[in-house]
Amino acid sequence: MSRLLADRSVPGGAYLPRALTAGRSVPVHLLALAVVVWLVALPFGASAYTVGVVGRILAFGLFVASLDFLVGIAGLPSLGHGAFFGIGAYAAALLARDVTAVGPAQLAIAAAIGAAAAGVTGLVTIRSRGIYFVMLTLAIGELARQVADSWTSLTGGANGLAGVPALKLIPGGGSVVIAGHIYWYVLAMTALAFGLLAAVRASAFGQALKGLRDNEDRMRALGYSVTGLKLAALFVAGGFAGLAGSLWLTQLRFVSPADVGFTTSALALLCVVIAGSGSLWGSFVAAAVVIVVRDELGTVIGGRGPLVLGLMFIAVVYLLPRGLAGLVPGGLRPQPQPALGTGVAE
Amino acid sequence: MTGWLSDNLASILNGVALGCLLFALAVGLSLVFGVLDVLNLAHGSLFVAGAYAAWRLADDGSLAGFGLAVVLAAGIGGAGGLVLTVATRPLAGRGHLDQALLTLGIALVVTEVVQSWFGRDPHGVLPPLAGSVEIGGGYPIYRLALIGAGLALALAVDQAVERTRVGALVRATVCDPDMVAAMGVNTLLVRSGAFIVGGALAAVAGVLGAPLLGASPHLDAQVLLLALVVVVIGGLGSVRGALLGALLIGQVQSLGIALAPRQAPFLLFGAMAIVLVVRPAGLLGTRAAAA
Amino acid sequence: MLAVALGAMSVAGCTGGALREESAGASSSRGSAVKIGFVAPLSGPFASAGEDLRRGFRFYLDRHEGRLGGRKVAVVEVDEGAGPETGVPAVRRLLTRERVVAAAGIVNSAVALGAHQSFIDARVPLIIATAGANDLTGAKGSEFIWRTSFANADMNDAMGRWLAQQPPIPGGVFLLAPEYVAGHEQINAFKAAFTAGGGRIAGEQYSPFGITQDFQPYLAQVRASGAGAVYAFYAGQDAIGFVRQYRDFGLAGRIPLYSPGFLTEGPTLDAQGAAAEGLFTALHYSSELDTPANRNFVEAYRAAYKALPTAFSVQAYDAGAVLDAALGQIDGAVTGAALVAALPKVGEIESPRGTWRFSPHRNPDQRMYLRQVRREGDRFVNAVVDDLGRTR
Repeated sequence: MSRLLADRSVPGGAYLPRALTAGRSVPVHLLALAVVVWLVALPFGASAYTVGVVGRILAFGLFVASLDFLVGIAGLPSLGHGAFFGIGAYAAALLARDVTAVGPAQLAIAAAIGAAAAGVTGLVTIRSRGIYFVMLTLAIGELARQVADSWTSLTGGANGLAGVPALKLIPGGGSVVIAGHIYWYVLAMTALAFGLLAAVRASAFGQALKGLRDNEDRMRALGYSVTGLKLAALFVAGGFAGLAGSLWLTQLRFVSPADVGFTTSALALLCVVIAGSGSLWGSFVAAAVVIVVRDELGTVIGGRGPLVLGLMFIAVVYLLPRGLAGLVPGGLRPQPQPALGTGVAE
Repeated sequence: MTGWLSDNLASILNGVALGCLLFALAVGLSLVFGVLDVLNLAHGSLFVAGAYAAWRLADDGSLAGFGLAVVLAAGIGGAGGLVLTVATRPLAGRGHLDQALLTLGIALVVTEVVQSWFGRDPHGVLPPLAGSVEIGGGYPIYRLALIGAGLALALAVDQAVERTRVGALVRATVCDPDMVAAMGVNTLLVRSGAFIVGGALAAVAGVLGAPLLGASPHLDAQVLLLALVVVVIGGLGSVRGALLGALLIGQVQSLGIALAPRQAPFLLFGAMAIVLVVRPAGLLGTRAAAA
Repeated sequence: MLAVALGAMSVAGCTGGALREESAGASSSRGSAVKIGFVAPLSGPFASAGEDLRRGFRFYLDRHEGRLGGRKVAVVEVDEGAGPETGVPAVRRLLTRERVVAAAGIVNSAVALGAHQSFIDARVPLIIATAGANDLTGAKGSEFIWRTSFANADMNDAMGRWLAQQPPIPGGVFLLAPEYVAGHEQINAFKAAFTAGGGRIAGEQYSPFGITQDFQPYLAQVRASGAGAVYAFYAGQDAIGFVRQYRDFGLAGRIPLYSPGFLTEGPTLDAQGAAAEGLFTALHYSSELDTPANRNFVEAYRAAYKALPTAFSVQAYDAGAVLDAALGQIDGAVTGAALVAALPKVGEIESPRGTWRFSPHRNPDQRMYLRQVRREGDRFVNAVVDDLGRTR
């Protein structure tokens, strides 16, 4: 656990206080335990509205974690990751409407389709590096949004898919309509997915990806299949994004082309930046901050949501300590650069 | 053949007009990419500034007002470029994602400011040259003038970059900024200059384009996307590439929509994806992006 | 830090409702203010229509001392935003957090379609003040969803019938609209009525929704088809560009343009100016309607807001009237169920557009007017030239 948290490429990190980075693990464990207890106990005391907000934070946080995996671990900066989140949501919606509303089935389909989409588009995108890769991901994200917008017979077009049937836990079972129960389902699934993602991250595959991020040429010289690694990373990230999309859909019961497009991708990217690279927990914290600010603050200040978001973008970029060099060490120039600050954690 | 040509002449001309507009917008973006290696997602906001200047000063279609708007826009755009130079300076070497986020944030803030000053309604702007010519059934004179102005601008920028010393410095900085710095040239001046000139051009494009596209708060996102596609297709840092890309995209948007309206949305990004796969550095790009 | 914040948030929202069934709508007891939700776009492409909607509703409340049905009313406004991605969560907030007892508004059909099930599930009645999607009322509707505006078919059906009765148009009529559900619904209704009356269609095209700036390619197709007239549905910014370019590319004056009234309503007409002169449109309202009720309304509205009312203002104004009538029938606690029982009995609504009542499909049974854009002094207005009859 402490190894996971200490494994950050930006010394000092973006979010967790300095005390934790000194290696003391007891406060961290206590904090984590407290958060978990609070999450599980939430429906007992909170309103339907509150569990709805936290549930959405969990789903979006998982999406952010998948993007962080792609950007922070594999070093592939994507401006179009929302495509896989949205595709997963659409897949889950269509499955619920036409076949079965059983939750785990939706998760499986959404993850599979998200992964497949990421893999297929990856075949095109990984041929580019640096700024061109970023632009291609942007293009693909926008293309996906336009497909969602125009393929009316499948996706409902600009209107999106509404009235998606409520969640069922077992085939033939009753619909889960109580807010607290839906929340527990989302919490359980998110925890499982999060654990899985952390395990992948800690595995040999994850380490190889970090090596790829730090110095692609060196990895190639060492005999790794760079293309294979990148594709696999996209596959994993896309799968988890799709999974998150399905959890999002289960709560909103509605999906529209905006969930596929650049706005969603940009929002997730903001969260990744706030969280700092390599911090899976940070993904959820950042998601909480962004969603609370956008949805809650947005209503209070009457339609000024984009302004707050814009200011957040600016503030995050300027105020994060020690910059964001950890995000993609050495920037995106296609030249070999010494890895910055990653030697410690390995 | 000639029948097809006369039927679609208006669309083709429109494509050229749109292309010229996109060139004026995209060349600044391309230079800023090439010279500063900065991904500037606030470029569309400069265009919007120009569009609103045109609306405020030339709404009634007067030529004098329009001219004034062009001058004012050049000033605002240049100042905006300077602000962006300063704003992105601390991010030097930090990577494109940070720049994307910062400039995106700036763009969002500017859009909100525009909405509070000028309201949320879209506004139309009358062209300073009224009337139509009997080409292809009726073609506005203003758009022909726009084509002329755009091509003249393209020529001017191209000659400036290819023939002058400053232009040589710009091209050198695109290829190898470290070498240029080692030569003792004040790269800061070159960099700021690229941002300022690029910004001024974008704002002027906004003025010129106002009679076509109007002035509305969300115009920046629409034109930015087109400009990004143009720049990537043409090649980062290449002026001629920007012109080629702009004319190409202009035709895709206009002739493409006329001939294949259902597929039109995909043509744009599909074209970009294809170009990037076949020529990863863009059509005339000088950067070896796949190295 | 964050734990404290989240803790505070859960305490703030702590009514312990997460484990309860969604109850039969919130309720307001006698004496306390009735909580009504209002959903309108405050940002995005429909923001100007949203502003008209707010004004119309406010105007009704102001004229009735902030009371509906004799009860004090607390209005909770939420921003529908640019589309369902913001509108649906906004509605959700209205229902689960604010726990309103009824709601009014919604401009974007996509938002209405995405959110209407939430109202039905929460058993809270919704009075739609603009969104025209046909399926929201009618056979697929619900007793919880009512509408004071129109169904997308209404004005197009009227226009189709009227145009079919005019002298035959050589070359037929070319149809244009943006590519989204409302675009298709409006065009289909016109097409059905027009061809049923013997009219001929020359062609049909849909431009990409929300991103079309340049209509020249579509106008080129119009010319190529040899059509004798054009029927087009555009609103907001699209409408401004379309009408101007219609003139710029030489079609105005040569190929007559007909349209549902959104093409020239409110600020869009101001922006179009002389380019729109002479255009025929069909709508259920015009600020120029020459009745005592409307003249009064327009004068008072203008005094309050320094602008002419639009169809959007009147629709929201009437939503206030509907809620007024329904609430007035309820004794005791106001609940969603009580309102749903009262709404079918509201009877005739006295509106600036004329008197109307709900059809059995919960849509206004109203008159459509044929309008033409005419110059009046230094501005342009939609002068009423004919009565197209009641909606079918």
